[in-house]
Amino acid sequence: MTVFKEVVAELIGMFVGEKWLTIAVLTIVAIAGWLIDFTALDPLVGGTVVLFGCLVLLVESVYRSARAGTS
Amino acid sequence: MSIWSTAAPAVSAAFLASLVEVVEAFTIVLAVATLRGWRPAAAGTAAGLAVLAGIILLLGPLLDRVPITSLQLAIGILLLLFGMGWLRKASLRAAGIIPLHDEDAIFAAEAAQLGEQTRRQRRNLPWVAGITAFKAVLLEGLEVVFIVIAVGAGRGLLVPAGLGALAACALVLAVGAVIHRPLSRVPENTLKFGVGVMLSAFGVYWTGEGLGVAWPGQDLALLLFAALFLGAGLIGSTVARRISVEVAQ
Repeated sequence: MTVFKEVVAELIGMFVGEKWLTIAVLTIVAIAGWLIDFTALDPLVGGTVVLFGCLVLLVESVYRSARAGTS
Repeated sequence: MSIWSTAAPAVSAAFLASLVEVVEAFTIVLAVATLRGWRPAAAGTAAGLAVLAGIILLLGPLLDRVPITSLQLAIGILLLLFGMGWLRKASLRAAGIIPLHDEDAIFAAEAAQLGEQTRRQRRNLPWVAGITAFKAVLLEGLEVVFIVIAVGAGRGLLVPAGLGALAACALVLAVGAVIHRPLSRVPENTLKFGVGVMLSAFGVYWTGEGLGVAWPGQDLALLLFAALFLGAGLIGSTVARRISVEVAQ
């Protein structure tokens, strides 16, 4: 049972290392999906939102963690 | 060109990511073998590999039934979360905010823990040692299985990606068998940084494809995405290092 719990924890930890980063990435993908499905914009706009949204989120997450880690 | 631009990143991502994970599992299995002998270490490793093979056999046929766009979207999002997580941690490690992974320290900690268990539970020593090796192989192997499926599924690259992972296993086992100590000189953080870049690039690519985006240049877009994630990771690491230095002064 302990092994099973550790496997589940490992699986969750693989994708939810940092809670806010996970929520923000999912939000970005949801926004891109909405733009593609419910607006007349080119789907490439949605793809660009995912790409640059994730790049910004990455830098912001490292910055925030560095601030928290050194304070 | 198309085969190389897709297969080469998939195989190298599977190889490098597996290298990191297998090195981590090897350290713990080696600690078990050193303290309790090769029999429980081999048994635990074999059991872990058997469970992983069962997971692959179970998931493989299921993946074939999922519509390709749904599969691309789901795998793309999981790759983004997983790859960006690795890249974030590697950037923070490179900046000195969190400590580097130290295989020698992990070996010593695992050996101490097994020694403590030996002292407390004299009856089930081989069992405890075997379970330790089993958990190490299973937990690290799960990440390898995910990466192989993630970079290989959707484009018929499961076999090449799997071969990349197997090559990493063979390399670690061969080097480990020769030097017979933790592989502490593997530049683990650099590898994690590189793999994080590649997995994040794959994540954006698959997520976009799953959402219906036709990327200009098709597979070649992966190279641009990888370059951008590499830049973002380096910027993040530089900013984090400056913060670290400012706080220290």
